Formats: sequence, C-alpha cells, structure tokens
Amino acid sequence: MRFFIKEDAAAASAHVANYIVDRINHFGPTPAHPFVLGLPTGSTPLGVYKALVEKYKAGEVSFENVVTFNMDEYIGIPRDHPESYHSFMWKHFFSHVNIHPSNVNILNGNAPNLESECVQYEEKIKSAGGIDLFLAGMGEDGHIAFNEPGSSLASRTRVKTLAYGTILANSRFFDNDLDKVPKMALTVGVQTVLEAREVVVMALGARKALALQRCVEQGVNHMWTLSALQLHPHSMIVCDEDATLELQVKTVKYFKDIEQVARSQGFEQILPSKIRTGPTKVPTTVVTDDFPAATIHSPQPTTSRLLRATPASEYPLRSRSPSPDCVSRHLRTSSDTEQTLGTEYSVISRSTTPDFMPDRMASRIGDPALLRRTTPNPESQLQLPIMRTGVRV
Amino acid sequence: MPTAVRSASPRRNGITKLTNCRLLRGDELVWDDAWVSSITGKIIRSQSAFYEELIMPDEVIDLGGRIVSPGFIECQLNGAYGFNFSTVTEDMAQYGKQLRDLNKKLAQTGVTSYLPTVTSQKSNLYKKVLPYLGPSGASRRAHDGAESLGAHVEGPFLNPTKNGIHNTSIMRVASSFSDLEDMYGAANITPPSFSGSQSPSSVSDDTSLSSSSPITSSDIPIKKITVAPELGAMTSLIPELTARGIIVSIGHSEATYEEASTAVSAGATMITHLFNAMRPLHHRNPGIFGVLGVTETTSRPYFGLIADGIHLHPATVKIAWHAHPAGLILVTDAMHMVGLPDGRYPWTNGEGEHFIVKKGGVLELEGTGVIAGSSTTLIECINNFLNWSGATIPQALKTVTATPATMLGAQGIKGTLDAGADADLVVLSETVSDDGGRRELVVDEVWKFGVKIFEKGHENGRKSSLRE
Repeated sequence: MRFFIKEDAAAASAHVANYIVDRINHFGPTPAHPFVLGLPTGSTPLGVYKALVEKYKAGEVSFENVVTFNMDEYIGIPRDHPESYHSFMWKHFFSHVNIHPSNVNILNGNAPNLESECVQYEEKIKSAGGIDLFLAGMGEDGHIAFNEPGSSLASRTRVKTLAYGTILANSRFFDNDLDKVPKMALTVGVQTVLEAREVVVMALGARKALALQRCVEQGVNHMWTLSALQLHPHSMIVCDEDATLELQVKTVKYFKDIEQVARSQGFEQILPSKIRTGPTKVPTTVVTDDFPAATIHSPQPTTSRLLRATPASEYPLRSRSPSPDCVSRHLRTSSDTEQTLGTEYSVISRSTTPDFMPDRMASRIGDPALLRRTTPNPESQLQLPIMRTGVRV
Repeated sequence: MPTAVRSASPRRNGITKLTNCRLLRGDELVWDDAWVSSITGKIIRSQSAFYEELIMPDEVIDLGGRIVSPGFIECQLNGAYGFNFSTVTEDMAQYGKQLRDLNKKLAQTGVTSYLPTVTSQKSNLYKKVLPYLGPSGASRRAHDGAESLGAHVEGPFLNPTKNGIHNTSIMRVASSFSDLEDMYGAANITPPSFSGSQSPSSVSDDTSLSSSSPITSSDIPIKKITVAPELGAMTSLIPELTARGIIVSIGHSEATYEEASTAVSAGATMITHLFNAMRPLHHRNPGIFGVLGVTETTSRPYFGLIADGIHLHPATVKIAWHAHPAGLILVTDAMHMVGLPDGRYPWTNGEGEHFIVKKGGVLELEGTGVIAGSSTTLIECINNFLNWSGATIPQALKTVTATPATMLGAQGIKGTLDAGADADLVVLSETVSDDGGRRELVVDEVWKFGVKIFEKGHENGRKSSLRE
C-alpha cells in the first residue's frame, strides 16, 4: 500500500489529481484502448474534480478517450434530481470536460429490472477491459461506495438497502423530509473495486481518522469494508494531516519517511509498466492442462519458468501465490489476449492450503528402480502427481 | 470498434456551449454553462441531453467571464433608424421591408424582442399597419433579428390633457367595445376563435394576399394597449381586453388614485412611462403613482420608466425602484430618430406635418419645447439605471428581461436562461470608468434562437455563418 499524508485537503486533492493526470497521460489512451476510470461522489472528491477540470482547461489532460464507471446511484429518484449522482457528476465534472457521453457509465436507479442492471454493469466493466484506476472516498465508518459495515468483502454490484443512519444523514439534502430520502441504492461491490488494477482512496478530515486507522493499522474486517484494500496489490491512500489523528506516530512517520526517501532518490514507488499502460500487448501467463510425461528426468527450476512469463522487474500478475502444484504443470507464455487482464485479477481469495504431499528428491529422478529400492510403497507415490492433475483453478 | 475521434462526429447537432461565463439567474449572476440549440432555437437542458441523447456540443465558446443575459425586451418603441411604425407608405410592401431592416438593426443593440408601438393615430392607419406589427417569432429565423411580441397601441383612447405630443384632436373616448374594434379593426383586436361573434374575415384575407404579413391565425396583432381609464366606459372595458390576452396599461391619464386603483382591480397590469404624461404625485392624492403602494386587495401593476436622463430625474427613478422593484420595466419610448444624426425630422401625429428637432439625446417637438419621446437605446437606459439606483447588475438586467416577460405572459419563454426558453441571449462585458464612478455594460454579442447574429467589431460579414 502506498500511503501519502499531505498537509491539508487541498494538497491531498492536488496530489490525487496530478496522479490521475499522470496516469492517463502515461497510458496514452486511444479510442480502441481507452483509460477506464472508476469515480466516486460525495464531498471528499470535490477538490479532485475541481483540479481535474482546471487541468483539462489548461490543456494538461484530455478525457476524449477516458471511459468512466461511477460507484453508485440512488434508487427511485429521477435521474435529473439535483441530489442524484448523475446530477453530481454532471455538475462537478462531466459538464466541464471533453468526456463523451457514451463513455460515461452510471448505474441507473430507475431501471425496470435493478438486478439485471447490476449484472449488466459488471459485464460492462469487463467488456471495457476492467477498471484501470478506481478513485474512492472513505466513509466515516470505513465504507467504500454504499458498502456499509457488514457488507461482504466479496460483494459485487447489487441493490443495497441504506442504513437508517445514512438515511438520516442524507435527509439534509432532501428538505429534511425522511419520506423524500431514497432508502435504497445501487452500488458496486467491494470485490468490484478490488478488481480494479489500481485503487486510490482519499480520506480527508478528522471525522475519517478512526476509519483510516482501522483500515490501515488493523486487519481486514467486513465492519470496515475499506480494510479489504489491504488485499489489493496496487492501492494508494491519500489523506490530510487531520485524518491521521488516530494513527500511531510510528505509522505516520514510516510512510512519511518512505515518501521522503523515495522522492530524494527520484524513485517514487511506481506501478509495473503493464499496469501503467493497460492490458494490451502484455504477455499473459496461461496455465494449461498439457502435462509433461509423469516422469521428470531432470529437475526443472520452477521459479525461472514463472519469471520467464513475467519479466523479473515486474510483479507476477496473479494475486494468488504460486502453489506447489504448479510444479507438475506446464507453463507457457502467450501474448494473445484471450484472457484479459481483468479476469486474471478476478481471483483474489485466500489461496488454498496445499495438501500434504510426501515428496522426495528420489521421486523426481524418474528411475523407478531407484524408488523401489528405497521406498516401502513406491507405486502409490508415483500415482500422486497424476491424481492432482484434476485440480483446476 | 470505435476508431474515429468521437467528438468530431460528422452529424452536427447545432448545439453550442457557452462556457466560462456568468449567467443571469434570478437576482444573481451564476458561473455556469449555457447550452443553446440553433435547430430548436431554445436553451437546452444540458444534463438530459448528455445522459439521454448522448449529445456533445458542436462548438464550445469561452466567453472569458463575461455576463450572459437573456435578450432584452423593449415594451415601448415608436420606431428606429429612420423608420416610424406610425407611418403609412404608399406601397405597404415597403413598410414590411423597412420593418425587417429595423428588426435586424435593433437586434444589434441587444433587443431581441419588443412591442412596436403605434401612437395616437387615425383608424385607417391602425388598420393598415397593425397586420405588420403582430407577433413575428413563429418563423424562428435567427437572422430576422428582433422579434415582435405584438403591437402596443398607445392611443387614441387617452386623456387630451395629458397628450404629450399626441394630437388631441384625434383622441377618442370609448363607450363600448365596438368603439375599440372600429378604431383598430376587429380582426386586430379580437382573435378569430374568440367566443364573441366576430368574423375573422379580414385576417384571413390579409394572410392570403400577402405571405409577408406577419399575422398567424391564432394571434392578434395587438398585445398591449395604453388607455386613460377615467374616460368613458374604459374601466369597464378592461376585462374585455384582458380576456383577449391584451395587456392593459394606464397612461396619458388624469386618473386619480381611486380611478387608477379601480382600473388595476379591473385588470390593468401596467403603467405606461410612469410619471410622464400623468398627474404628479400629490400628497393628498397620489394619483397613478399611488397604486405602487402595497395594498391588501389588489396586486401592484408593472410600470415602465424612461431612464434616459431627460424624462426623469435620477432620484425619481430611484424612488420608483424602491417603491416596487419587482414591477419596474425600463423602456426607451424611442422615436425613429434613434440611430440617426442630429437634425430636423418630419413627423406626423395624425394631422398635418410637424418636425421633431434632435439635438444630442434630446427630442423636442419643434416650436413647443415638449419632449417628443427619446432617442436612447435600452442598454443606455440600463446603464443609467445601474448607476442611479444602486441596483446590482442582475437586478438592472431583470427590468428588461424577466420582469417584462412576466408582464407579457411570456415567462419561461422569454427573459430567462432556464432550459426550454428561447435562446435569445446578450453577452455583456462590464466596465468601470477610470474615475471609479460609472459602471457600464457593453453589448458584445447578440444571439437569437441559438445563433450568434451580432458580434461587436464584426458587424459585417457574419451572415455567411448561417447554419443549416
């Protein structure tokens, strides 16, 4: 996790806006290869939108080939209601930049079939190639989008009932009339956010301090849904000084030190280049069902095969740690794009504990005679790798 | 696979986005964008267009922080650029041509819609000219320039003692509605579909004879009438007029406070050039001005003010403004000499030939010393008002946009920048004189029905930009 602590909200917003602009420009989006941006609403990102608009007007960035996906939308209020997230996005961002309306995706809270709207939304994200960067704010209770405490960390886009406290808090935007406040919303799930290739979260102000502390210093917990960010390979949190009030001095110092050292070295933690440039033309590692002969004559160095698939300077794409059963699989490098990066990332779960497999160097030599001489039951041991071939991802 | 750059889509939608500008919204100038369509001629609801129709503007224009106001509405204009609405040409086609020229020039002053005003004249003049002066916006052609919202007949049912320069010998007293119909021509004052027994014959004749005639079958040319309610049966005729959609305005009148109040109760909603051609405010009878006071029973009328610096003292303008800010409508009462050099110009008021002497901004009926209308423009009046009254810019602009639109029943269509309204716009820049005193608004651009028809410094040669 990259963690930037900025002096105040304005500096934090400027940092995030600069970062997004750098990402888009480095990505070099084209119509066929758009940059896919996930966007939040709420008071936290307002400064970022303002800065992005200024940068657009100054000619520093173009949203011509940027595709956006918004996190959430209320159910049952008109699309053009002043408090709808459609209106928010229009007012604060879309109306000021050159983004094309057909590249804008926001959940439709008035869809005839809300469930299929959610399913289609996930499909749309997939067909856009997955989200390159998801910008998010952090709720006071550590929620992300409308994934309030207790939401499944494996959740996907769905209909969500709002907590009574949220409805109460929202009533100030609806003439203080509880009847007018939407009670339900459509929202992307925690898992949907985590599938983005990068997640940037902002936390501004003392009110967010406790949530920030829970999400950074404590464990992954569905009561603070944003803590799931710890499982993401490329996450970034940007906060202001006020939001650090509940953090340990040690934590704050550590991340500030890191940032300072990195800057002095001219090496600010950077993303792997394939994340920076998007999913095309990147060789992907494909695991096939082709197996070599059960007998291995000479030991094959497992690590070097994995490294061949992904240059050593980069992170392996799969978030699952290589399990021992890779040993018996044939790995090949493929540059075709049958498997998009998005689906590669779709598996973020605890890796299964490998079964205990008694193994000896003698079994790899491939001379049955050798096994027979030294092992009480050589036949059963020979069968073991073959039996395991049935296991698939 | 999308390969083309999307915003350069070949299908043009005629939509222009004005950005980096301050829009007149109510009593405020709001930093916002305005999206206008040259196809529908309206201001469009940008958010709906974006999300629903997936529309992006063809063109984005950065106005550099200038003010965008709805187009000005002029409620009292007697003529301009040498053309007087109260004249009859031998060939009436010539009248139509001069009118069209006037409309184009008038639009360049920021006036995008107006009420052509005909002073006290003989019946046959009304009958000849009124068919040309009716509402002209139906064609929605931007390059036609300023649009008539209907004619304003200022007379002849006026009080001879408050005639101004109107000819007293042709003033009339109405005792029944047929007197009005006889004067203006029934077809000009009563819609064909009106529940009365009037036949629409002369209207349909006119339209079939000359396609340039501006009358449409559903409209009558007269939109507003100035009357002296104290004379004859006029007060009792007011409901008849309002039932026909005609605005009744009190003016050129000796009405007392009581008479004026009765007229307002009967449906008069406007006062023609307040203070001029009426009894002055007297503390024992406040006269017409008195109806601007708040009463429990009647709503207060709108009132026109000529803020040209000649008709009214600045302090008088300020008093009227503070008496009833929501009712104030700035008018020029300009004569056809506006836009012409100083000199001696012939003028007829229905009988014989007279001359009006123009000297600077002052017009006088030769040999009388009586003020003969003005030769000011509406933007000059706005600037005067701005500096005399202490009103804010939005408040000053409101007196020529939202207030007259509401008075005329055109709220939501004219005088506003809300979505759905006609895209008649004025782009104004704001200057303050070096001595720190006078604030001036300058008309930089004029848009009509979503098309830019005037740009300061580019007066000529813009017509080629007419879009399909």
